[in-house]
Amino acid sequence: MTGKLEYWVKVPVGPIHPALEEPEKFIITIDGERIINVDVKLGYNLRGIEWIAMRRNYIQILYLAERMCGICSFSHNHTYSRAVEEMAGIEVPERAEYIRVIVGELERIHSHLLNLGVVGHAIGYDTVLHLSWLARERVMDILEAMGGNRVNYAVNMIGGVRRDIEEKHVRAITDMIEYYREEVMPKIEEVFLYDPTVEARLRDSGVIPKRIAVEYSAQGPTARGSGVKKDVRYNERLGVYPDLGVKPITPKEFTGIVKGDVFDRMVVRVGEVWQSMELIERAIDQMPEGKIKAVPKDNALLFQLKKAEGEGIGRYEAPRGELIHYVMAEKGRDGPARWKMREPTFPNLFAIARALVGEQVADVPVAIASIDPCLSCTDRVAVVDANTGKKTVLTEKDLLKLSIEKTKDLNPKIRGKPEVVGIGCPRGDVL
Amino acid sequence: MNLLYTTLGFIGIYLYVSFASLLWEGIDRKLVARMQRRMGPPLLQPFYDFLKMVSKESIIPRDSNKLFELAPVFALAAAIALLAYTPLGFGPLFGTRGDIILFIYLLTLIGFIRVLGAASSGSPYAQIGAQREMIILVSREAPMMLGIFTIMWRIRDLGVSKPFSLRALYEHNIWEIGTPMSIIGALILLFVFMAWLASEIEVGFFDIPEAETELAEGTMAEYSGRHLALFELANAIKAFVSASLVVAVFFPWGVSGYLGLTGLPAVIADLLFHTLKVFAVLFVSMSIFRAVSGRLRITQAVNMFWTRLLPASIVGALLLVIDTLGVIA
Repeated sequence: MTGKLEYWVKVPVGPIHPALEEPEKFIITIDGERIINVDVKLGYNLRGIEWIAMRRNYIQILYLAERMCGICSFSHNHTYSRAVEEMAGIEVPERAEYIRVIVGELERIHSHLLNLGVVGHAIGYDTVLHLSWLARERVMDILEAMGGNRVNYAVNMIGGVRRDIEEKHVRAITDMIEYYREEVMPKIEEVFLYDPTVEARLRDSGVIPKRIAVEYSAQGPTARGSGVKKDVRYNERLGVYPDLGVKPITPKEFTGIVKGDVFDRMVVRVGEVWQSMELIERAIDQMPEGKIKAVPKDNALLFQLKKAEGEGIGRYEAPRGELIHYVMAEKGRDGPARWKMREPTFPNLFAIARALVGEQVADVPVAIASIDPCLSCTDRVAVVDANTGKKTVLTEKDLLKLSIEKTKDLNPKIRGKPEVVGIGCPRGDVL
Repeated sequence: MNLLYTTLGFIGIYLYVSFASLLWEGIDRKLVARMQRRMGPPLLQPFYDFLKMVSKESIIPRDSNKLFELAPVFALAAAIALLAYTPLGFGPLFGTRGDIILFIYLLTLIGFIRVLGAASSGSPYAQIGAQREMIILVSREAPMMLGIFTIMWRIRDLGVSKPFSLRALYEHNIWEIGTPMSIIGALILLFVFMAWLASEIEVGFFDIPEAETELAEGTMAEYSGRHLALFELANAIKAFVSASLVVAVFFPWGVSGYLGLTGLPAVIADLLFHTLKVFAVLFVSMSIFRAVSGRLRITQAVNMFWTRLLPASIVGALLLVIDTLGVIA
C-alpha cells in the first residue's frame, strides 16, 4: 500500500459541491479516474431536532417532524403518528388510513419525479431535469389544494388526519392521474428505459450487488433495485395497504434482469410512480365514509397521551426507504421522553459509498443522486469536544459502554449486561 | 498603406467576432431555455456577465504558480491570432499557402493553454479537468484532421491558386466534384465535423472537462474575475471560429455575387451571411445537441472518437478520393 500511495489523490466532494443538493462530504481517493476509497463524513446539517423536541408536547412535535425534510414531510409525521398511536394504543379510523394512503402516494409521486430530474441533471442532461420538474408541478398543485401548502401539508394528526378529502379533491386527483398516464409517464419511460445516453451513463455504474444491499441494510428503491424484495407496506402489512394490493417493485418486472446499478434504481422509481397512481385510484374507490379522527378534540387527545406510558415504534415506507420512529413516553409528561428516528438515507449512503469503490469519478454524482439522499433528515446528532478539540475514534465497544451508562442514567431499574455481538459495523474495515 | 488597412480590418474583425460570439451565447441560452420550457436569461446576458466579471476581484489560489495568471491572456492572444487565419465569408486576412496547419495548431493551442492554466491552479478538481481535457484533445483531432486534409487535397486537383490554404475553400468546394460517391463521402465527413465541433466547444456528450456536477466546472474551477472573463471570451471566440471552419468547408457560398455588390459592401454582406450560417451550424451542433443529450464518461467519449468517428472519417475520405485513385471506373 505504501509504494503506490504517492500516486493517489484525495478529492473532497462536498460539503458544498454542485453535485449535492445538501451538505455532506465524501472524501474520494482516486488513482487517475478510478476510485480507490470513499469516506463519508456526515453532520453538516445538524439542527438539533431531537433537542428541540424535548421542549415540545406530542402535538407540537407533529409540526416539527414535518419540517425535518422538505420532500418527505408527510412520511415523517405519518411515522411519528404511528409510533405515538402504538404507544398510546389509539385506534385509527379506516377513512383516515385511506386518506393517509392517498397523500402518502401523492408524496411518493412528487418525490420520485424530483429524483428522476436530479439524476438527469447529474449526468448533465438538463432537459430531463426541467421537464420532469415541470410535470411535478401538477402533483404539487394537488397537494397545495388539499393541504394549503406545497411542501408541509400538515395532514396527519395522532389518531387520524386533520383534513378530509372532498369531492373536488377527488376530481382534481383523477384529472392529475389522467394527465400523468397520458402525457408524462410515456415520456419518462422513453427517457429512463430507452434513451441511449441515459442507458450509457446509468447502466453498470454504482452497482450495489444483492449481497451488499442485504449486508449494509439498504432501504427502499436502493434495495429493490438490487433485487431485495423489501417494502414495509408489503412486508409489514401496514395499515390498509394489503387491501390495496401493494407489492414490492423490482426491475425484473420491467427489464427482465436485476443488476443493482443506477439504471435499475431509476427503473424501480418509474415503476413506483405507476404503482402509486394505481394505489391512489383504488384507495379513492374503496374509501369508506366515517370520521377521520379517533379523538376529535386536541386537548382531550393531549390529556390521553399525558397519561400514556410505554414505547412505540412507527414504520413506514417513505419514498427513499423504510423510515422508523421510536417514541418513549413517561407518565405525566406532555411530550415524549425520547424520540428517535432512523432515516433510510443513512444505510443507503454507506451502501453507495461501498459501491463506488472501483468506479470512475464521473459516476460519483449520479450514484449519489440515485439513492436520493436526504441529509436534512439524516443529520440530527453530533458529538463535539469543545474543550480540547481532540479527535478520538470510538469503537463499537466504547459506544456500547457509553450507551449502557446512559441507559442506567435514564432508568436505574434496568439490569442487564449486553455483550458485543456480531462482527460489528461492516464498513469498519473498508473505510 | 495596405498593411495599415489590413491591421484596421483585423481589429474590426476582432471586435465584430467578439460581439457576434457573445451574442450567439445569449441566443443559445435563450433557445435551449425555450426547448426546456423555461424563460431563459435575457439575450444580452453574456455581455452583462462579461462586464461584471471584468470588474470583479480575481482570486488567485495560494498553491497556484505564475502560469495560472498568464494562461487566460495567452488563451485570448491565441484566439485573436486565430482570427487572422479564420475564413469569415472571405479568405483569411493573413491567409497564405498551407495556413490550414497554422489554423489547426492555434485552435489546439487554446485547449492546451486551458490545460496549462488548470494544471497550475493547484486544485484537484482542475487537475482532473485538465487530465480529461488533454485526453479528449488528442482524441478529437484525428478524425477532423484526416477529413480536412483529404478535402484540401481533393480540391487542389480542381485547380486552386494556393493549395492547402483556407482561401482555396472559397474557390472550389467539395460539392463541385459531383460524383455520387463524393457526395456520400462529403455527407459522412459533415457528420464527423459536426461531432468534432460539439467536442471542440464541449457541449452535450463532450461536456466532460468542465462537467459542472462532477468537477465543479473542472478546468475553470479556480478562475474568477477578469481571468475568467478573458477565458470566457476566448472560449466564445473559439466556438465561433470552429464553426466558421465547418461553414467554410461545407457551406462556403456567399451572397455578394447574387446581390451584385463589390468592394467593402460585398465583404460586409458576406460576413453577415457567414455569421448567419455559423449560427445555424452552432444551433444544430450546440443548442439542439445540448438539449437532447447528457454527458458521457471520459472512456466512452474516447471510445466513440477512436471506434466510431475515426472509421467514419476514413470511410468518408476514401469515398471522396476513390475516383481519383482509379480503383473503380
